[in-house]
Amino acid sequence: MDLCNVIKKELIIVPLTASSKDGIIESLVNKYAEYKHLTAEKTADIIDEIKKRESLGSTAMENGIAIPHAKLEGVEESAVVIGISRLPVDFGGEEKTKVFFLVLASKNNPSEHVQLLASIARACSSSVFVRLLSGAKSVTEVYELFFD
Amino acid sequence: MIAPFSDILVYLDGSEGSLSAAMYSIMLAKSTNANLHALYVVNTKALGDLLNAHIFIDMEKNEYLEDLVKDSERHLRHMKKLALSKDCEVTVLSVEGAPHAEVMKYIKENNIDLLLLGSINTIHSRREELVSETDRMLRTSPCPVLVVKDDEEIWDKFEEI
Repeated sequence: MDLCNVIKKELIIVPLTASSKDGIIESLVNKYAEYKHLTAEKTADIIDEIKKRESLGSTAMENGIAIPHAKLEGVEESAVVIGISRLPVDFGGEEKTKVFFLVLASKNNPSEHVQLLASIARACSSSVFVRLLSGAKSVTEVYELFFD
Repeated sequence: MIAPFSDILVYLDGSEGSLSAAMYSIMLAKSTNANLHALYVVNTKALGDLLNAHIFIDMEKNEYLEDLVKDSERHLRHMKKLALSKDCEVTVLSVEGAPHAEVMKYIKENNIDLLLLGSINTIHSRREELVSETDRMLRTSPCPVLVVKDDEEIWDKFEEI
């Protein structure tokens, strides 16, 4: 399982307009919920899980990327929601964040979750790639960065 | 005809593709009398990288490590059971580290002359950063590599033998 296996155009938000950490998390989870036709209750549960994890330590990296994530019961397929904010947002890291990857994975497949997170971290270790991603103006532009 | 290999290594990562590779390796070892080895790598390199990048916190890293170790034990137990069901001997091992590096090390230290891989991904991107662990093994293996396609036919054949 690598990142390209789970990227879907329907799960990319450009631009992400929320200006707070909670707002960003809610926008990303709502996008997933809309795609998966989740109930309001299930959506709220996922938002709580992500916020709970973030309260233990921000997943914001030094290069303007954050990877909020959670292992969830009842999720069969891992999913990644990508959001690009025009303006940097305080996500609790040392630097403000513009690029967000929400990773939702099955509780039963820790290996897949680790592979996916590592794959994102590896992709984002390239400063050129991060710059291109941060500057992407549309969903198609983001999508094509992964599949060129 | 004598097979041009005597020691087969199958790499297991818990995916469906690696399960097909496991079955195929058992059929291949049985039909050629080759020694069969199965290796699972608990990806502690990724866990360390995720911790250093602040994506994981300590507690989370330890929790995942525990889950991954349990996962490796479960998959290797299953591999043994599959091999036993076909009267095939297999040496199973779980190690910790970076999967492609550990597989290369095992190949060299154990004179492996055929590596079996499942789940090779479609090439989506030319970006080096997006290359998967199994793709790296395929590219850097010092011995021949057989890529097993995840195919129902393999499961059927395995049931037949």
